[in-house]
Amino acid sequence: MFDLVIENGLVVDGSGRPGYRADVGITRGRIEKIGRLSGQGRETLDASGKVVSPGFIDPHTHFDAQLLWDGYAKPALAHGITTIVPGNCSLSLAPLKAQHRNKLVGMFNQIEEMPLKAFAEGVEWNWIHFDEYLERIGEGLALNVAPLVGHSLLRLWVMDDAAMQRVATDEEITAMQELLRRCLQAGAVGLSTSFVDMDETLQPVPSRYADMREFDALASVLGEFARIFQIVPEFYDADVTIARVDQLAEISLKHGIATTFSPLFVNNDNVKSIERVMRRVDEQFARGARVWPQVQTRPIDISFSFAVPSLLFIRLPSWYHVMRFGSHEEILAAFKDEERRQAFVAEAAPLSGLWPQLVLRQVDSAANQTLVGKTLGEIARLRNTTPVEAMIDLSIEENLGAHFLAADMGHNDDDAVSALLNHPRVHVGASDGGAHILSFSTYGDTGYLLGHFVRETQQVGLEAAVKKITSDTASIWGIPERGQIEAGFVADITVFDPQKIGRGQEYSVADVPGDGCRYVRDAIGIEAVLVGGALTWIAGSGYTPATAGMVLPGAITG
Amino acid sequence: MAAEDLSVVRRSLVPQAHDTWESIAQAMFAQVDLESAVSQLQSWNLHVFMRPAPPAGSPRAGNPILPSDIIFLEPPLADAADTL
Repeated sequence: MFDLVIENGLVVDGSGRPGYRADVGITRGRIEKIGRLSGQGRETLDASGKVVSPGFIDPHTHFDAQLLWDGYAKPALAHGITTIVPGNCSLSLAPLKAQHRNKLVGMFNQIEEMPLKAFAEGVEWNWIHFDEYLERIGEGLALNVAPLVGHSLLRLWVMDDAAMQRVATDEEITAMQELLRRCLQAGAVGLSTSFVDMDETLQPVPSRYADMREFDALASVLGEFARIFQIVPEFYDADVTIARVDQLAEISLKHGIATTFSPLFVNNDNVKSIERVMRRVDEQFARGARVWPQVQTRPIDISFSFAVPSLLFIRLPSWYHVMRFGSHEEILAAFKDEERRQAFVAEAAPLSGLWPQLVLRQVDSAANQTLVGKTLGEIARLRNTTPVEAMIDLSIEENLGAHFLAADMGHNDDDAVSALLNHPRVHVGASDGGAHILSFSTYGDTGYLLGHFVRETQQVGLEAAVKKITSDTASIWGIPERGQIEAGFVADITVFDPQKIGRGQEYSVADVPGDGCRYVRDAIGIEAVLVGGALTWIAGSGYTPATAGMVLPGAITG
Repeated sequence: MAAEDLSVVRRSLVPQAHDTWESIAQAMFAQVDLESAVSQLQSWNLHVFMRPAPPAGSPRAGNPILPSDIIFLEPPLADAADTL
């Protein structure tokens, strides 16, 4: 007798092989048998007309803080995600000395657009070392967590303020190696670094002050544990990205480790550049290196209000400065000051193609409700003004509570994106789950892959898509016993309706500590999610109390 | 595939800890007058040159080059038809 039998589903097992009709028998959290098992389960789950796939794995998230108040990483789990990788982009929450907490929160706020109040009211800082942080989040984990160690954290720990000023000495590098070793022994899946990110003072993050001695030394420690190295390259420049691919290839070959970089965006005007990057990736793989690009499935959409800084404005210094450093009152005053207002308008002029397309997505006042859903171009015509002036006026009228949407900003050419998604070296990532919560929803990328590219445009096959987000990811990241429907594997399973699955509509919800809001999407077509054999999310009834999630690959004992 | 069989990509280096535009220009383009060499380097490396300057008083004041940067030593190759 099995604990649970998932009956009558189409098993798409993550290997890429064609799906087949079968039942899946689960005992003590593992897949015990696949076959005709009807009537042999103490519990049954009818999956008729549904796909039974391995649980989805999201390798690029920033749930580090959210896991402290939400062990489900909502709503990622409801979208079928059973394993997440936090700690990307050189930032994790451990190891962290008390004197560096404010610095780290500032970096998370600047880079990942996570509210300061969420940290202030949602985080009890009662850890220092990596194992202590894992113990904290492990108290109520409903999904698996494969955490990266942030390179900037290692530098801060060892070098204090000098981490943001200079290269490390040999002694400091040795200390970072020992610290990384301790994190990997505690269960970290690898190390992350960034070559692009800026801190809360708009200066480079600590990892960017490292030289090749330091990268090589840290990679050698990853080699001791066969763990992965993640980087954020200068993704806006193909030549620099290719140079980073070469660096990663040398590190991969020398230390025998997998490496990955994210993101990789493709647009109408850079298809040839992306082809050059991928040719280089292929060449390096032919040498035996492992350099895995991550590609997100969704187009780039950015929402914003002027109540919080938005990276959409980072190339408009006057706008960004007042959003980043101004108080609520100072931002309003700047918009109302005629001289500064005209300076804002002038600075925005080079992006004249953007502003008319922005959509007013949310306001508080009754007077402006009729404008919701209209573009700034339409609103400007109604008000006999310009789109930028309309944006400023609405922000003043709504006390900075007017929300705007810049849709389809890029990565929206289905032919180009699907070509990447079908590339054998590409894996699906870069969702940024848990970050940028006031700019866009970072949930539902897997639903978009299966709904848009598999069902609607049919540019990616079902089995290939499932493989991309399950066994490929598990294999690349060294996540054991997950990613396939196979006897003996842990029963992380997502059951979905292939005719319905989608990412859902984006909306704002007020569920962030500190009375904060975030953009989310409710999954469509997900029927059930099992983590470690436990039903953890069920369509119609939602999340269950099950907390069978684990830290992967887990602590090294003995 | 051996390393020597890799296709030709744009020539670059990783700077040393205290490298500046001038020190790289002197080391790599000794035959070119310094001002011209620096100007060339900057024009080939806008991803570094256009970066906000380090604040006054910082150890890096006036020098935007980081030890983790990629510095190109030549202009984009002919096959770089568009930008990323």
